[in-house]
Amino acid sequence: MGAYSLNKVLRDINRNPGIREEFFKSKDSVLDRYDLTDEEKRAIRELDIGTLYRSGAHGLILRPFTLLHQVPEPDYLKAIRG
Amino acid sequence: MSIVFACAGSHAPGITAWTEKAPKEQVDRFVNGYKSVHEELVASKPDTILLLTSEHWANFFLDHIGAFCIGRGESFEGPLEPWLRVAKSNVPGNPALANAILEHCYENGFELNYSDELKLDHGSMVPLSFITPQMDMKVVPLMFNTLATPRPTARRCLALGRTLRPLLEESGERIAIVATGGLSHDPGEINHGFIDRAFDSEFLESLTNADLDRLGAYTDAEILKAGAGTLELLAWICLAGIMGEKRPRVVAYEAVEPWATGVGIVSYAEAA
Repeated sequence: MGAYSLNKVLRDINRNPGIREEFFKSKDSVLDRYDLTDEEKRAIRELDIGTLYRSGAHGLILRPFTLLHQVPEPDYLKAIRG
Repeated sequence: MSIVFACAGSHAPGITAWTEKAPKEQVDRFVNGYKSVHEELVASKPDTILLLTSEHWANFFLDHIGAFCIGRGESFEGPLEPWLRVAKSNVPGNPALANAILEHCYENGFELNYSDELKLDHGSMVPLSFITPQMDMKVVPLMFNTLATPRPTARRCLALGRTLRPLLEESGERIAIVATGGLSHDPGEINHGFIDRAFDSEFLESLTNADLDRLGAYTDAEILKAGAGTLELLAWICLAGIMGEKRPRVVAYEAVEPWATGVGIVSYAEAA
């Protein structure tokens, strides 16, 4: 699995209520603590699911991340298959 | 004989989180299957559940991967997922039994990883919510790495089961063994929704025939073709290694498209 830091930040938001709460209040305060490219930060900020998937976000990390944003399954699948 | 009950069942999150998205007849058959194994487990009066299970980057990430990890905690918090529709619990552990298993394994060629603090995600909490709904039975989780490569081989998982058997049989505790995960699914990936019914049917046949040679011969690539999530069946293969010549029966199998998983339950109890 590539994209170590990308998966790490999404996973931390998924599994840590404190980081999750902080992320939803101020995304950059969380994102700046990880070794991410500007494009990865943008894709996370804008919930650009297709870019995140193509950048190497693992399905079992990306799908739960999108569930936190109430993204319906058909929309998620369309975005990763796009 | 201190193994008083054994079963295996799927842990797809849809089972609890989007139950009603699935056709009612399928849900009823599957949930009734879990209800009947719950009754079988209760009737066997176990002291502890040994949970052969897997997880989804909940505890383990590429900062540290081990093939197998046993939980020695006094209790385990779960579920991690706020959307799972399973109430948050502290599932009681059994550190004494976990340590006995661990020492036995080290003496017999399996240096398991161990943790005094594991979190349980849907991989454990979904089946536990049916099998021990009050979440008051002691659980020893034994987690299998089914995500990061390389993974333990089916042969190795079968051998782990065979290694565990004498320790469990001689235990003073009454032990129920529950394996979780599978069957065919590829969650969150481009092939999400693909269910390999032929694979599932062949796997269940090998299991119900106690065809240990076949079960130990499954390759990583072979299982992966049925979907990445199918690798959770490594825990079922370990269970087959523990149970040896005993033949389980299929309690339920449904290819549930809204859950994107071939969900199944098998039980080693004699049918009533």
